[in-house]
Amino acid sequence: MKSIRVIIPIVSFLAVSIFLYKGLFSDPTDIKNANVERQFPDFNLPDLMDENLFYQKDSVKGDYTLVNVWGTWCVTCRVELPYMTRLRQEGVRIVGVYYDNAADAAFGEVNVEQTRLEVKQMLAQLGNPFQFNIYDVKRDLSLDLGVTGAPESFLVNPEGVIIAHRRGAIDERVWQKEFQPLLNSYSNQAKSQSN
Amino acid sequence: MIPEIGHFSLLIAFVFSICLAIFPMIGAQKRIADLIALGKPLVHANFVLLSVSLFCLAWSFYHNDFSVYYVAMNSNSELPWYYRLSAVWGAHEGSLLLWVWILALWTSAVAIFSRTLDDDDVARVLAVMGFISIGFLAFVIFTSNPFERTFPNFPIDGRDLNPLLQDIGLIIHPPMLYMGYVGFSVAFAFAVAALISGKLDATWARWSRPWTLAAWIFLTAGITLGSWWAYYELGWGGWWFWDPVENASFMPWLAGTALIHSLAVTEKRGAFKSWTVLLAISAFSLSLLGTFLVRSGILVSVHAFASDPTRGLFILIYLLLVIGGALTLYAIRASNVVSTHRYKLFSREVFLFSNNILLVVALVVVLLGTLLPLVHKEIGLGSISIGAPFFDRIAALWYLPFCLLLGVAPFVRWKQDKLSRLTGKLVSGLVIALLTGLTFYLALEIDSVVTMTAVVLAGWVAGLTLLELVKNKQILKISLSHWGMIFGHLGFAALVLGIAVTQWGTVEQDVRMKVGEQVVLNDYTFKLEAVDFVKGPNYSAYHAKFDIAQGDKQFDLQAEKRYYNVQSNVMTEAGIDASLARDLYVALGEQLQDGAWAVRVYVKPFVRWIWLGGLLMSIGGLLCIADKRYRKILSAKALNKPVGSQDETQVKAAQEVQA
Repeated sequence: MKSIRVIIPIVSFLAVSIFLYKGLFSDPTDIKNANVERQFPDFNLPDLMDENLFYQKDSVKGDYTLVNVWGTWCVTCRVELPYMTRLRQEGVRIVGVYYDNAADAAFGEVNVEQTRLEVKQMLAQLGNPFQFNIYDVKRDLSLDLGVTGAPESFLVNPEGVIIAHRRGAIDERVWQKEFQPLLNSYSNQAKSQSN
Repeated sequence: MIPEIGHFSLLIAFVFSICLAIFPMIGAQKRIADLIALGKPLVHANFVLLSVSLFCLAWSFYHNDFSVYYVAMNSNSELPWYYRLSAVWGAHEGSLLLWVWILALWTSAVAIFSRTLDDDDVARVLAVMGFISIGFLAFVIFTSNPFERTFPNFPIDGRDLNPLLQDIGLIIHPPMLYMGYVGFSVAFAFAVAALISGKLDATWARWSRPWTLAAWIFLTAGITLGSWWAYYELGWGGWWFWDPVENASFMPWLAGTALIHSLAVTEKRGAFKSWTVLLAISAFSLSLLGTFLVRSGILVSVHAFASDPTRGLFILIYLLLVIGGALTLYAIRASNVVSTHRYKLFSREVFLFSNNILLVVALVVVLLGTLLPLVHKEIGLGSISIGAPFFDRIAALWYLPFCLLLGVAPFVRWKQDKLSRLTGKLVSGLVIALLTGLTFYLALEIDSVVTMTAVVLAGWVAGLTLLELVKNKQILKISLSHWGMIFGHLGFAALVLGIAVTQWGTVEQDVRMKVGEQVVLNDYTFKLEAVDFVKGPNYSAYHAKFDIAQGDKQFDLQAEKRYYNVQSNVMTEAGIDASLARDLYVALGEQLQDGAWAVRVYVKPFVRWIWLGGLLMSIGGLLCIADKRYRKILSAKALNKPVGSQDETQVKAAQEVQA
């Protein structure tokens, strides 16, 4: 009788372990896939420099586009601007989503003129990688994209699907490792199709 | 360079741990003195190496070395220096380093304070602790290296520490909790060493008691701190959420609480030997399980930690080795343990054992409640969530028998007692309990049966505990450990009272307020006096000033809504006016379209008593550990003999000689 009682702990522990083992492989992967390989969200937002000019989802489709979420207040964004400017010179299409700290409703009115001035100064000083900048007035687009902070970048394919997502600055290493291979496989595909 | 020194120290410590797990154990089994003698130097060397490693990581944080990946992810040059240092344990890698460092600290302490224990017994204990540290060091080195570099392109500035963690409560909460978790490894090591050597007598119980108490004190204080922190920092006014991560800390606490009581029985009476061993294994196993649940991310929790299946798999294999090994050993050895000690149904042994059973029942409920969502999903029944209502309901049933027994147990004699002897005390206790209930009923107009029951039971426990003190004529002669019991039990009564009254009497209102407007809650008038924009070191904030009026009493409260730039997080700093009778709690929410503010206001009666209870329990533990008989143990090799009920006179004699 006693010998049965003393094996209860080890048996129950082993039973629990089986579930812990199964649990390990079910959840996290779901979350991971949800972030990448999905359609770029719909939006309708003005240009940062011209409030009468509006962009929609079509504006980031048609070609491989790097969508970069940034702001003048963000220190790391300053660091990645020069490298991204080089990417633009190499022919990468880069679109900015301007993410304003102060645009939070809880933080009162934003002085748009002031922001534009800061943006111009910063881009003149560090280089301007952007074709244009979408002004994410209420940060809805950033929310839909799942942005947790600036800078973040999304690589969007010509069909408007996000195929890569990077949290933090893009530098040469990150670009060569995470983004360039995707572009290469595209151009290979394009070649094989044209053949 | 500095991070490499830290990394290198880690690697050496890993090799030393392997040596520690092997050589002293072989030495103890084969009686080779040279191998036994290796244990202590290895332990101390490990402690020094891991201290160097921890220091190097702190150094990298202090000097903003963003070429270290972990620093870049969890710090920022604008972060104040003290948060830069506490950021060391702000995320996965660093907190694991802290974990192994604390393990090394405990191991060193055991090596230092066990000088009077037989060398081969110490060697076994140290070897088991060495075995535990191999797994965690391997985990740090191979899956979670905090010293990984970001060369050649390192960031100019870091991503900042999670703003939730930028708080004094979070500087001390994790180390406290870890001291508790890891501290149970000592009792575990003593138990496993006893199982290996086959010497399952009272000796190991006496030796592990102070260590278990120390760990329990840290864990109690850590959980209390965490609850207090969540209350003022999260901005929801809650103090316990039955979140998986909280449950992960609560389960070892329940096992630890059962263990410190059961160790007392084993040490003093030689009873419950195999039960105590099982509890000692369980307490630390549950700490490990908690680490697994938190670090693998298999459960959904508000505590967002890194989730990574390879890391999870690593810990799981480690759990199988450590827990599975210990429980297998238990299955082999424990069946041979015979308890010679006899006791009647109405005896302190039975009371203590009943409360032990109740604690374990609570533990199993929490464990099942935490794991059931996982099991449910894995056997294909879909996702479910088990939340606070389930646990609250069970807890409401559980505390009733627990409090009833808890009040009486300290009066009952060992071995055998008569109910008639206790009648007087029980009646006095009942009168105090009812008077407490009546006072609260009249003062607060409590209209809930459940709340009233809890208040009366809190009165019952506190009344009986205090009664013992009043009736004891030689109050100065009460031993420190007896004082410890009194404080511990009073703390529990305070906890029950606090929980019951807060749950019943909390009034909450979400309102929109413009500057100058006011809201009335219970007897209190809250007026939003002003909202200003202020700037902190790494955040900007709206700072709200509230004027509170109750009758002619007037004071003000400050609440903040902070915006942390780097991680673009919004944090609430609640304004709290605290007193023993009630807390006033104000949290500033969003600003609405018309310039008004969303404001959350609470009046929470007796909420302080919850943390007061935790504090009293910790103090109780400290008093126990300060008791002079533990110092005697340290100085008396004469006591180092198995103690059963038979040879107790011998021990008493030895004690007298010592005194």
